Amino acid sequence: MSPVLCRLVILCLFFSGPALAAKVKLSPDNWGHEAGKECVSCHSKASAGIVGQWKQSAHADAGVNCMDCHQATEDEPDAISHEGFTIATVVSPKDCGRCHTTEEKQQRGSVHAEAVAVIADRMPAMVNNLAGPAIEAAGCAQCHGSVLSLMGNGKLDPKAWPNSGIGRINPDGSKGSCSSCHGKHAFSKAQAREPQACVRCHSGPDSPDKEVFEASKHGMAYETHREQMNLDGDTWIAGKDYTAAPTCASCHMGAAGKLPSTHDVGMRNAWNLGGPVSERQHLVVFKDGSKLELPESVKPPRRGSTLAKLDGSEGKIKMVATHKRRRQAMSLVCRECHGKDFTKSFMKQFDDVVHLYNEKFGKPAQAIMRALYEQKKLTPTPFDEPIEFTFWELWHDEGARARHGASMASPNHAWWEGMYLVARNFYSRFLPQVRELNGEELIEKHIGDSEQHAWLKSPELDSPILGLGVEEPAEGE
Amino acid sequence: MFSLLPDFITRHVLFALVIGGIGGVLFMLFLIEFDHYTGTEEFCTSCHSMELAAEPYRESAHYQPTSGVRADCGHCHVSPGIFAATWDHFIGGGDLIKQIKGAMVGPDYDDPVIHALNLPESAFNARDWFRRNDSESCKRCHVQEAIFGKRADTLDIHTEDAKGKTCVDCHINLVHRAVPERKTFKRDKWNRMVEQEFGLEEGEADRLMAK
Repeated sequence: MSPVLCRLVILCLFFSGPALAAKVKLSPDNWGHEAGKECVSCHSKASAGIVGQWKQSAHADAGVNCMDCHQATEDEPDAISHEGFTIATVVSPKDCGRCHTTEEKQQRGSVHAEAVAVIADRMPAMVNNLAGPAIEAAGCAQCHGSVLSLMGNGKLDPKAWPNSGIGRINPDGSKGSCSSCHGKHAFSKAQAREPQACVRCHSGPDSPDKEVFEASKHGMAYETHREQMNLDGDTWIAGKDYTAAPTCASCHMGAAGKLPSTHDVGMRNAWNLGGPVSERQHLVVFKDGSKLELPESVKPPRRGSTLAKLDGSEGKIKMVATHKRRRQAMSLVCRECHGKDFTKSFMKQFDDVVHLYNEKFGKPAQAIMRALYEQKKLTPTPFDEPIEFTFWELWHDEGARARHGASMASPNHAWWEGMYLVARNFYSRFLPQVRELNGEELIEKHIGDSEQHAWLKSPELDSPILGLGVEEPAEGE
Repeated sequence: MFSLLPDFITRHVLFALVIGGIGGVLFMLFLIEFDHYTGTEEFCTSCHSMELAAEPYRESAHYQPTSGVRADCGHCHVSPGIFAATWDHFIGGGDLIKQIKGAMVGPDYDDPVIHALNLPESAFNARDWFRRNDSESCKRCHVQEAIFGKRADTLDIHTEDAKGKTCVDCHINLVHRAVPERKTFKRDKWNRMVEQEFGLEEGEADRLMAK
């Protein structure tokens, strides 16, 4: 077998899953609950909107009714007795997974399913210091997911419900909300394949993927040729079922050529672009389906060995997708339209921006902040000093925009909305604030020898763009 | 005149019949008045524990309806018809005994914590009662075929989908503090809620219930 083919086979094995959008293989005896007729009869009058959506859905075509998804047993924490039937309002991934086993398994442990854990260390500062519980419910948790809880009277606590955050922790213990992308009751495939499915959360200052995509050539092609996207297609393989443009789902989840689709949305991401400093990461998949991101600085563990999982318990490793493999998977999608060198060179341009951000701004700024805390120039309390906002925005907003801009080919976001703002912040806010707290010591220590910042020590470098040397207009003009 | 009547109808018998008849009518009138009075908010809330049940009632649409037709305690919780109403009060007397016994040796149902902890069983019993009598007290005022509602299809739901169901199959928790249905009720959750509401230590509710 040629090395290329060999790699491809290994890749396909690693990213196992059906090449097509997984068809449910269960016998139809598993659905079509008798009580469903009664639900539909009453709800087509009481809440005609949702029944109308369902009637046009693939679920309705297949005979899957309300009760098939909403059924519950009396001992379930969120079971309610509704007009004589025992049901649960919340349909969790566990419920969907009764039929959609492949997708449920894939999303388990994914960065989406773990979206609550991902921000756990930020929440106290964000919620307790900057905002309040109202924002946790209406803001953070609407994207990341809430921890659903039941009140004594059997109702879902309004502090956490309604919620369709992608990492929602459900009363049955499962994590995630399929309806975050698939929309309740209609469950439209097309909707989930649309960029619009993602922008509810992936937009705005810290995760500006909507803006980045729209400003990229991918977004341009999508807008122009949307009607050729075959968004409703039974299968949706890039390069086969559509060629006009990719959407978010195409690259991060979709099938492409021989690469199977996946509901583990972070699987193909080689980098972590969301921290103060980016690191490439390996993905560890445990036997029980849970997953763990490991930075590349840690040697990838062996298959079959044990490692501490996210929840602290020991897990046996089923497989490790190194950052190289993850990049390979993503590149396979690119390759449906782009050549090998084109793809490689694009990835290089992207990686270079991440390195630039890391080395020039992220790492020194993080090191300086650490030192300021160690020297007790700052209180440990987050956000009670201006420089804490400055640093936060440097990486969380501006730095993320620059890195995301480069990753998805929006020149505007890589530079003007991204790295330019990082630089403006670093030189005009961050460094002056450091200087106020500590003088020149930390600045000299962390960027003094850096070639990237050497220009600061060359006051004679002139440029006409800021007015230097521009001739005064003659009088009378 | 007496000669027209059989011999055994003596003057005394006739006298007794008239007195008995008048007495009977008066007794019936008394029962009507008794059943009416003992179904009023004023009477029911003369026990403090019922005052606790009345608080949410006073916020409800049955107390403050747009129409001004107020449902009193007895309108819902006492059967229509004098004999049934009297029977209900006879059975309801058991609650009075519990209340008095509770005040003397406990559990004291006037205590808001005890009241809240015991409320679910009361609600379940009340729902059973409504189901047994096919929600007949609801139907004193509500006519299933005449529920037009404000939204489209409300009438259709009540005439088509609610066939074979009784009012409380769908309509519960309208007046008093919301309690889940018996089969999905989680005692543990309820106790924790009560503890939180009254600032009790965890487990205190279970200890109070065990007493």
